[in-house]
Amino acid sequence: MSALLFYILAIGSVSCALLMILSKKAVNSAVALVGVMLCLAGLFAMQNAHLIAALQVLVYAGAIMVLVLFVIMLLNLREKGGLLTGRQPFIQVGAVVLLNGLLAPLVSDYVMAPTTGIALTDPATFGTVKGVGTMLFTEYLLPFEIASILLLAALVGAVVLTKNKKNSEG
Amino acid sequence: MNSMTGDLLETVVKIAFVIGLNLGFFAPMLGWVERKQSAVMQDRIGANRAGVFGFTFIGLLHSAADAIKLIFKEDFIPRGADRMMHTLAPVIAVVPALAAFAVIPFGGKFELAGHNVNLVIADLDVGLLFVFAIASIATYGAVIAGWASNNNWSMLGGLRSAAQMFSYEVTMGLTIIGLVMYYQSLSLVVIAEKQVDFWHWGIIYQWPAFILFLTCAIAENKRIPFDVPEAESELVAGYFTEYSGMKFIMFWTAEFIEVVTISALCVTMFFGAYHLPFISPDMLVSIFGGGDFGAIVAMLIGIGVFVAKICALIFLQMAIRWTLPRFRYDQVMALGWKIILPASLIWIFLTGLAILLGLMPTV
Amino acid sequence: MAIKIKKIEKGDGLTLWEKSYLPEIIRGLGITLSHFATNMKSLVDEFALGKGRDSRTIMTLYYPEEQPVIPPAYRGRPVLVSDKNGVEKCVACGLCEAACPPACIHILGGERDNGDRFPRSYVLDGSRCIFCGLCEEACPKEAIVMSDEWRNLCQYDRTKMIYEKETLLRSEAQVQKRLDFIRSNSFSRDRY
Ligand code: SF4
Ligand code: SF4
Repeated sequence: MSALLFYILAIGSVSCALLMILSKKAVNSAVALVGVMLCLAGLFAMQNAHLIAALQVLVYAGAIMVLVLFVIMLLNLREKGGLLTGRQPFIQVGAVVLLNGLLAPLVSDYVMAPTTGIALTDPATFGTVKGVGTMLFTEYLLPFEIASILLLAALVGAVVLTKNKKNSEG
Repeated sequence: MNSMTGDLLETVVKIAFVIGLNLGFFAPMLGWVERKQSAVMQDRIGANRAGVFGFTFIGLLHSAADAIKLIFKEDFIPRGADRMMHTLAPVIAVVPALAAFAVIPFGGKFELAGHNVNLVIADLDVGLLFVFAIASIATYGAVIAGWASNNNWSMLGGLRSAAQMFSYEVTMGLTIIGLVMYYQSLSLVVIAEKQVDFWHWGIIYQWPAFILFLTCAIAENKRIPFDVPEAESELVAGYFTEYSGMKFIMFWTAEFIEVVTISALCVTMFFGAYHLPFISPDMLVSIFGGGDFGAIVAMLIGIGVFVAKICALIFLQMAIRWTLPRFRYDQVMALGWKIILPASLIWIFLTGLAILLGLMPTV
Repeated sequence: MAIKIKKIEKGDGLTLWEKSYLPEIIRGLGITLSHFATNMKSLVDEFALGKGRDSRTIMTLYYPEEQPVIPPAYRGRPVLVSDKNGVEKCVACGLCEAACPPACIHILGGERDNGDRFPRSYVLDGSRCIFCGLCEEACPKEAIVMSDEWRNLCQYDRTKMIYEKETLLRSEAQVQKRLDFIRSNSFSRDRY
């Protein structure tokens, strides 16, 4: 059951990734990328990391990709000749699926290899909000704070950049 | 019956119940409520013409008439539209609306014939985050619909909804952090269970969170007074201008189900979920003689209470919708970023302080 | 003379209480919900408790099941009034014809054996009538009044809107309300 689910999600994510690279419309690419995010979230959830899965969907699929779509829509990108130019869509889709079929076992061999007991945390709290939270605020407090300062700097930088532009125009 | 098939059967029944409740009861009923409640509030009579053999059932049949009409309408895709995305968008709008219900408990935990029945489809540790994650996916429905329609109004509606829903998603997450601190859990099942005692209902300590959350949720659902993405006086119908027939009805269903979801979330977090005030499910079971019969009766009462509370909150949402005029777009964004966001941060701080000082004993 | 400076208050004129918005939302909800409550109560009174139409606070009618009550001041189709014998009161004096602004009345007078004048033909062109009621005011015999008839004033065929004397005749009882009204003080006070 879980192996089946894994293959579905794996093939889904790889196909979405390929679609993203190959499709000629920017919006289609963005939507395919959302598909990748969702499949990855599914994979996370399969590994019992529910928090990461939810955050993956919430932050990447829900927030960042919406902004990407927003920008694409604002710029109104023209269609560029991507690889998937819709001449023989069935052949191409077939090729993608076939490629996946070949890749999936290779990948799965690597991923599904028995994890040799690297006991990161207590299995009871693994992946739960409490477990991740405790680790973030004890063991990894310094990287966590540094990352947050980095993000804050980026935020301030963005504000400064937009403000500057406005001043020079006005 | 071994426990594996038992679990499977239980899950299937629960999913069927939730989907049936939403699509079969709430969606059509909301069509009726929206028409009739607004009418009575505004001293009108409201839609009352659809009838079978002269029986109009106070206009109830209008939803059925709508459904029949829209099913047989032409499914129109404008020229130059992206056909696949145009078709995909309403699906993306509807599915998250339904999926969010998976983690909302609609009844307690009971033991039935030696089988533990937990009346929630998925008892997730990160239930609340799941709801927000799912809600964030719903943004794509509007955005892609606006983009794929090849229409300027739709495009503007899509852009507006992207910015608005994204902003309020961020804020909505922050509004309930205080509540999460109070209950010390992100799991809706746990939050619901902790409200057995009436004095632990979320609304009592966390009423500011309720106001903030409800505002954000209505904005996230793009309903009046925050319906700028579909403002009919400016944008025809916004992102679903170019939709007809079944696809149009899917957008409406999504909106109605989101109203129900918001109500269900509010009930679960602030209004004691499926609990009657002062009467715990265990008491109910023993009142009705215990055993399987008592469990079933208590279960049904729990579901009934939950649905009744949802209906009350739907009434409140409808009343808000038919009372307030639409905000300007800049006001919507300013409200989200400049008022609700700082207010919820302040509330998080105050809650933390109160918990530290012991003024707000955590449950 | 010193120039007077008038200070103009700018701003939206809202108090802080109103600007904080939430209380005003609640007040608005209070208004709409109180309407909801009174209307619901009246609907329950009317349909569940059978207290009848008068208890309803909603003004809308369930048309066509319910028909509107036309007040006597309403100016519908002008009609000719007949006396007790079913003969028109009109004496073909022509005053209404002269008063009618769009000139939609056409009278052909005649004389009866007993010397009474009567309209040999009285044609009122309903497609031109503007329902001003001047004919009614001009008439010395109360022979033409504005009725409360409002149905079928419009037709797809204009010839059907030209009324002959026979189609316009109404008994006194039929237009009694209007007769009472034009005899009442309020009518004359409003006019003169
Ligand atoms: S109501 Fe006015 S327009 Fe009509 S017939 Fe009388 S005078 Fe003429
Ligand atoms: S004014 Fe009266 S009496 Fe004279 S012609 Fe007209 S309807 Fe007849």
